[in-house]
Amino acid sequence: MKKKWRTAEPYLWILPSVILMAIFIIVPIFYVFKMAVSDVSKTGKIRGFAGFENFSSVLSDASFGMVMKNTLIWTVAVVGLSTILGFMLALILNNKFRGRKIARAIVVFPWATTLVIQASVWNFIINTDYGTLNTLLLRLGIIHQAINWTPTPAAYFAWEIACGIFVTIPFVTFTVLSGLQSIDNSFYEAATVDGANYWQKLFKITIPLVRPSLTVSTVLNIIYVFNSFPIIWTMTKGDPANHTDTLVTYLYKLAFYNGRQGEAAAVSVIGFLFLLICASAYMISTLKKEGK
Amino acid sequence: MSEPKNSLKKPVSAKKVILRVLLYFVVLDVCVITLYPYFVMFCTALKSRAEIFSMNGTVLPITAVWSNFIDIWKRAPMAKYLLNSVLIAGGSTLIAMICGIPAAYALARMKFKGQTAFLGFIIVSQMFAPVVLLIGIYKVMMSLHMTNSIIGLIFINAAFNQAFTVWLLRGTFLGISPEMEQAAKIDGCNKMQAMFRVLLPVAAPGIVTTLIFIFINAWNEYTVALTLISADTLKPLTVGINIFNGYNMIEWQYLFAASLFAVIPVVILFMCIEKNLVSGLASGGVKG
Repeated sequence: MKKKWRTAEPYLWILPSVILMAIFIIVPIFYVFKMAVSDVSKTGKIRGFAGFENFSSVLSDASFGMVMKNTLIWTVAVVGLSTILGFMLALILNNKFRGRKIARAIVVFPWATTLVIQASVWNFIINTDYGTLNTLLLRLGIIHQAINWTPTPAAYFAWEIACGIFVTIPFVTFTVLSGLQSIDNSFYEAATVDGANYWQKLFKITIPLVRPSLTVSTVLNIIYVFNSFPIIWTMTKGDPANHTDTLVTYLYKLAFYNGRQGEAAAVSVIGFLFLLICASAYMISTLKKEGK
Repeated sequence: MSEPKNSLKKPVSAKKVILRVLLYFVVLDVCVITLYPYFVMFCTALKSRAEIFSMNGTVLPITAVWSNFIDIWKRAPMAKYLLNSVLIAGGSTLIAMICGIPAAYALARMKFKGQTAFLGFIIVSQMFAPVVLLIGIYKVMMSLHMTNSIIGLIFINAAFNQAFTVWLLRGTFLGISPEMEQAAKIDGCNKMQAMFRVLLPVAAPGIVTTLIFIFINAWNEYTVALTLISADTLKPLTVGINIFNGYNMIEWQYLFAASLFAVIPVVILFMCIEKNLVSGLASGGVKG
């Protein structure tokens, strides 16, 4: 009896967590997959099996190629640039200087702010007619006429990417900072004795040793940025005509604006497949590290 | 970036001075750029409508209209939005902790079959952002009759924060030696008592960090609330403030005045946990 309890006990401890995730994450995943291969009515009723019909109708949609291209640009640009900038910022903030605590507290601001509000402010700042970017530059005498910052959909998309980078940098910076702080100072002292210069230390000591932190932040950011919805939704809603849509805004419109839930589910599944590759790579590397 | 200690011993060279100046210059720039959107938000919240749309605008308000901060309470059910945000964030935190603490405890202190699989699922589950699952979530909420319900939002937020909660708490528990709990058990405590009386008080800093982080995540959540909640009186701040963001005209002054109520509390909370969060991230981190 006692032995049985011993084997059963851990499962009771994890049960609440498992139930919570089962109902609100696993069941929705199941539904999404089921709807992706079903004939779904406008109101969301499943009418029968449809095979890969939803997938083929999504793939043949003229705008889907553009949406995929946008998603790729969005993810690579935001994750890539915020990783580089965030890493540099971490190197800077890792120095000892007066006001470091304040600087670090300020850098965290964008991370703590809800994206929908951050995006609203950016929308206001870049507005041609009354935006403060024009106002500021005019007052400083840098420009003499209001500039239209968003003449094309591509320009608007670039601003969305900039906003994405702005809010993603703090996470990279703080993950890297945590890695930097765990580096033993004696490595640098030994290198100094050996006559290594700043760049040699950076590439031979710092970067290899913060690589694990960089991997964590990069993989999590790929997932997070790929799935990011509020910035684009607030600034352009993916308009005009899907020119600034990424996968998630596109599927949101399919599901909740156009009543094409089956196709939206198919888009979700396509997104999963991409993220599954990233996440499994991450899981394997994390569990490997745990095993050590 | 390496040896600031040595810089005091050696005579200060010109190069060092230039580097220092450059450092402060860059840090100052970064801070100014980071704070700029908040500065704009605050200044605009203080402007009159006419001033915002004037052709000859200024960054700072010419005459500060403090009454904007009062008007928003009359123009929109701000008190309701605020209360809903508090309820959603507080409730999500509570449920996430009630489910997460035992799970993290089991992972840190017990050995069982499927442990690695559970841990693996926790990590992979982060890949499923609510937005990609919205159609499925919507279906689940329909069958539970929880669309348009704050309780429903609480459970969804709690579920999508489980990964972070369990992972961070497990790390915290693993960092605490089990000896004290074992001693308590010898003294006649059962597992539950040992956890509540011995482990949790010691783990308090890690727990508070986790707690605050979930609270912030749920407070800032936008997409699910936007989709599930249609009744104006049930909206949280992030969704509700869009009442000032009409199709034909945006009332920027009100939008930003209301936004400040959504932004300031969590920014302050975040600053409190910033230090602990860094050490939490060091353990292999999960992003909420």
